[in-house]
Amino acid sequence: MTGPLIVQSDKTLLLEVDHDLAEACRRAIAPFAELERAPEHIHTYRVTPLGLWNARAAGHDAEQVVDALVEYSRYPVPHALLVDIAETMARYGRLTLSKHPVHGLVLTTTDRPVLEEILRSKKVQPLVGARIDPDTVAVHPSERGQVKQTLLKLGWPAEDLAGYVDGEAHPIELAEDGWALRPYQKQAVEGFWHGGSGVVVLPCGAGKTLVGAGAMAEAKATTLILVTNTVSARQWKHELVKRTSLTEDEIGEYSGTKKEIRPVTIATYQVLTTRRKGVYPHLELFDSRDWGLVVYDEVHLLPAPVFKFTADLQARRRLGLTATLVREDGRESDVFSLIGPKRFDAPWKEIEAQGYIAPADCVEVRVNLTDSERLAYATAETEEKYRFCATTATKRKVTEALVRKHRGEQTLVIGQYIDQLDELGEHLDAPVIKGETSNAQREKLFDAFRNGEISVLVVSKVANFSIDLPEATVAIQVSGTFGSRQEEAQRLGRVLRPKADGHEARFYSVVARDTIDQDFAAHRQRFLAEQGYAYRIVDADELLAES
Amino acid sequence: MGTTTPPRTLAEALRARGDESLAGLLRARPDLLNPVPNDITQLATRAGTRASVVRALEHLDRFALQTAEALAVAPDPAPYDTLLSLLTGDGLDDGEQRDDVGAAITAALPGAVATLREQALVWGEDDRLRLVRTARELLAPSPQHPSPTGLGPTVAEATAGMSPGRLQEILAATGLPATHDPVSAVAALSALFTDRTRMADLLDTAPVEALSVLDRLVWGPPYGEVTPNPTPPVKWLRDRGLLLPVSTRTVVLPREAALHLRAGRAHRVPEPVPPAVAAAAERDPQAVDRAAAGQALMALSTVEELLKLWDGGGPTILRAGGLSVRELKRAATALDVTEPIAAFWIELAYGAGLLASDGETDERYAPTPASDEWLDLSAENRWTHLATAWLAATRTPGLVGGQDAKGRALSALGPELDRSAAPEVRRRVLALFAELPPGTAPEAEALLRRLRWERPLRGSAPTTEGTDLRSRLALWTLNEAELLGITGRGALAAQARALLEEGEEAAAARLAPLLPEPLDHVLLQADLTAVAPGPLERPLADMLSVLADVESKGGATVYRFTPGSVRRALDAGQAAADLHAFLAAHSRTPVPQPLSYLIDDVARRHGHLRIGAASAYVRCDDEAVLNEILADRRSAGLRLRRLAPTVLAAQSDPGSLLEALRDMGCAPAAESAEGDVLITRAGARRTPPRTPPAPVPEGPPTPDDTLLGAAVRAIRAGDTAATVARKEPVEGTTGSAPSGTLPRTTPAETLATVQAAAMTGSTVWIGYVNADGAASQRVIAPVRVEGGFVTAYDHTADEVRTYPLHRITGVAELAEEGEG
Repeated sequence: MTGPLIVQSDKTLLLEVDHDLAEACRRAIAPFAELERAPEHIHTYRVTPLGLWNARAAGHDAEQVVDALVEYSRYPVPHALLVDIAETMARYGRLTLSKHPVHGLVLTTTDRPVLEEILRSKKVQPLVGARIDPDTVAVHPSERGQVKQTLLKLGWPAEDLAGYVDGEAHPIELAEDGWALRPYQKQAVEGFWHGGSGVVVLPCGAGKTLVGAGAMAEAKATTLILVTNTVSARQWKHELVKRTSLTEDEIGEYSGTKKEIRPVTIATYQVLTTRRKGVYPHLELFDSRDWGLVVYDEVHLLPAPVFKFTADLQARRRLGLTATLVREDGRESDVFSLIGPKRFDAPWKEIEAQGYIAPADCVEVRVNLTDSERLAYATAETEEKYRFCATTATKRKVTEALVRKHRGEQTLVIGQYIDQLDELGEHLDAPVIKGETSNAQREKLFDAFRNGEISVLVVSKVANFSIDLPEATVAIQVSGTFGSRQEEAQRLGRVLRPKADGHEARFYSVVARDTIDQDFAAHRQRFLAEQGYAYRIVDADELLAES
Repeated sequence: MGTTTPPRTLAEALRARGDESLAGLLRARPDLLNPVPNDITQLATRAGTRASVVRALEHLDRFALQTAEALAVAPDPAPYDTLLSLLTGDGLDDGEQRDDVGAAITAALPGAVATLREQALVWGEDDRLRLVRTARELLAPSPQHPSPTGLGPTVAEATAGMSPGRLQEILAATGLPATHDPVSAVAALSALFTDRTRMADLLDTAPVEALSVLDRLVWGPPYGEVTPNPTPPVKWLRDRGLLLPVSTRTVVLPREAALHLRAGRAHRVPEPVPPAVAAAAERDPQAVDRAAAGQALMALSTVEELLKLWDGGGPTILRAGGLSVRELKRAATALDVTEPIAAFWIELAYGAGLLASDGETDERYAPTPASDEWLDLSAENRWTHLATAWLAATRTPGLVGGQDAKGRALSALGPELDRSAAPEVRRRVLALFAELPPGTAPEAEALLRRLRWERPLRGSAPTTEGTDLRSRLALWTLNEAELLGITGRGALAAQARALLEEGEEAAAARLAPLLPEPLDHVLLQADLTAVAPGPLERPLADMLSVLADVESKGGATVYRFTPGSVRRALDAGQAAADLHAFLAAHSRTPVPQPLSYLIDDVARRHGHLRIGAASAYVRCDDEAVLNEILADRRSAGLRLRRLAPTVLAAQSDPGSLLEALRDMGCAPAAESAEGDVLITRAGARRTPPRTPPAPVPEGPPTPDDTLLGAAVRAIRAGDTAATVARKEPVEGTTGSAPSGTLPRTTPAETLATVQAAAMTGSTVWIGYVNADGAASQRVIAPVRVEGGFVTAYDHTADEVRTYPLHRITGVAELAEEGEG
């Protein structure tokens, strides 16, 4: 038994976390390997071409990567893997994007056959301009992102040396009065600023907004912040006013209702992606100011059109913030190539261990359906099956019992189906927040919940994102968007904010046994289980018998 | 015999050799032993046969071959010094000093000559070295087989058949005294060409263009094309015999002249010393051993996985033998390797006797009983078993995917994959590895160069690098050695060195401490995975691979538990309690609650529904009646089983069940598949729609005209056959056959008669015995006689038929034409 690392033939790296050298090893492999799973004993990293190229971009060479593997590996590292790593890393940097005094943006190569190969690709041809000399070809500045993305897919990543525009300067300072950036937040800001652009992955409740603020304070330039919805926009504004030198007047909101453009502007994805007569009328926002920094909140939700706009923004610094880079549409690699590589990632459990997020007890409550419900489920149409089993009366009763069990604690009941939520609200005598609830009403209810005036709130998926409910200690999930892993992570995030009394948070998932509900639940839980949030599975009867 | 008198023939030379030395010859040329020669003369004769000499030459290294080639262009016999100067040059070089090469040649030549002598390719004392005649013929330059030396024929050979007048002209042009005797003319010319000083003087007078023509031919090929009216420089050379005509359009540079121009050297680049195998990298020997051991472990797990993959019957065997491309692809996907590598593992397992055809009618590959024994061995012994099998194997998986000479695809495990040179090349490559200090990884290119030096391809110019079979075998060896863990990071591992030099046990002893100890525990995690941080003990690994799906392999194994995998374990006869106990016993950490829950949850539903087969059932609302039936001894034969209080399942069919229950005094009623009571006799049984039968008239039906016509023809033909008068055979050697018996003639007569009939278009009468031995007589009109068959219009059968000649007992001509 020597090293803490086991290198697998499928290029995954298994790190034994209890090993003495685990921390040193983690630091050594972090530059090039992606943390894929972080359960209790063995963390799984994966070596991908993208990761290796990012390592190259960050100044690491193949020798360092190989050394790190050989040094910490418990068993001999397969020679083929080492060769593969060296070859993959050697592909980076053969092509460079740079500024040419005469021709603007150019793509140059140190290896002419590579340039010939990529110029032959049908995907590259429309993106490049005239051949300036045998080793150089012109690229239109607006195609910078497209070219990079395409070359990455062809396996010849371009090193982007064209740099960033500074943007219009605007003084922004962090107002650290009585609080300070947490160490990991500082690391995240540094990692981002050092790398230029990229994505920071932090668990819900770990203070991603502050990482954004920190980045703005580094940039000291006009900033465009893209968020998921208006409530979230208000919260960003509130947070920025509180934590930075910015005043209310310097921050504008660009949404369906307000169209303010100020040095710091917060826009919603929704308004950006509104289409009228086949054009996106609000696109000009990107050009309306000389932005020095673009922040993408909840980058895993980035709608497809925004990807396209982003491709045109390659000369500006871009910061992506998210809790999970799991995208159900599998477009993670687009995020990486257009916004930037992952610059910071910390296992959830690690941040929990540092006390910055509350420990949580995740419980899956298995509910036995009644015989008549089972029969009805068996005969339901395939597309109706999930809705049926997720909204059965038995589940409702169990949910009510759970709420009763935690009486006096701030409890959120989260669900997908409005009629189910309405019914629950009625039975629990609790207000329901759903899509049609006005923003004013929402904020009023949230305030009431914060103040403890109401202790139970029933919310639909509109509240999935970016709402801040500091005192929620119990969340009960009754139905969800099928098997969405990131939704599960977001919902758990609702209860992970540190509690004043250090109280452990509870996250219940009420699931109908032996139905598709159970299968979806297993899928939803996978990400969190891999983050170390193991679910206990409890029979509803037992749980209710306890109380 | 007299060791003092020099031997006059090869046989004498052999006879003079000691036993030890003869044994050396036989060892080097084992083909001479097959069969064992009767005496030395026979041995010498056989050693001089072309096939044997070719074989011997092919086994020479480059310098020995170059020596033999030099001897082939030297006078016969040649003194040692002549040979030496052919290789080193005569020192009158144009300033190009090659002292070190010369020294190397001087040092290496005695060895090369000794080798040639030992192999009976060269005989005679040092002052009279003779190359065996066959070898000389093979190596001497000829227009068909240009010598690797690039030299042409001698003056004497090239001027053979030249007119004396032409010779005179040459003598005159070169300023030699005229002589009428062609022999002395040739001798004078040869003497001039071999005399350095006079030759130099002659060439000094040559035009510059002429010298450049010579430059082109000097290192070969020595032949050049000329037009009937050559350019002045060519004409100058031709006039002086420096170019001699071969045909009307070709001229050749005679050997003596070429040697002068080459300063006496037979080879442009003599290679007296084997090229050194350069080191590509120096690595820590321990790291090399560890890397190789890691790879060895990987090899074992891959082969084990393959065996497991084909455990329940592997892929079917192609009719032509071997594995189909699709099956290979499938195996490659399952093993997570590329197809060529999958082919290597499959061939390795096959070569080690772990896989074979099952020999059933529907032939499939399957693990052999020996594979079970192999699996029980310790890891180091499993490896030595594989490595030993690999070393000796003639099968070459590297060929898989290619095509044979006829363009047929070569498939894995198929025929045509054996290459007899493979083990020898493999051994040789590894021996070269072993010569390097531990931890040194050789350059593949240098290795190939060395191999080519040791076994040059005779007669062919150096081909494109690495395309000849030996080079390909060597490259495959490098790859396979790395895969198998013989080498690690390109250098020979200590355990492989031990295997090569000391044998299996030593290798196993070397390898054992490098392999990780099998573990008896895994780490269970709440995300329903189990990680085995190293190789597991076999029972544990076997059980886990049933209970969970393998997600990732390598130094460690990651297993994932799913409802499906747990169900598989339950299907395999495990109970939930067993599984809990198993996990608790082998986990270093507490069993995560979701995993326990998963097992219980699957177990709860497992076997909830039961399925079986029954032929009939008995149901009755009164449980007492069923009790009664079951208790009755007469019901034993019905094999009744109680499925529920009111239902019995029976293994006998409903009909006999009804009968039996009636016999027991019950009054059962039959039920239809829909559960209705079947009422017997209520509905009469009906056939499907039928047409009434046609009336059958008395006697046969009236024949129609066609039938009649055909019948008449047949009768007539049969009649002709039976009654026609035959001519007596012209030479009735076998006696005339009486009418009604089969005619008998000798095969030669038969053939002649039938051929004649075919030519004239006449009809003959034959006796014929068919394949069942039944004899008949037929009247046929032969159309064609070929390949032992007669194709003829058979009057008896009224159609064209083919008869094998050997079945025709005899033939007779018809007395008169049968057909009008």
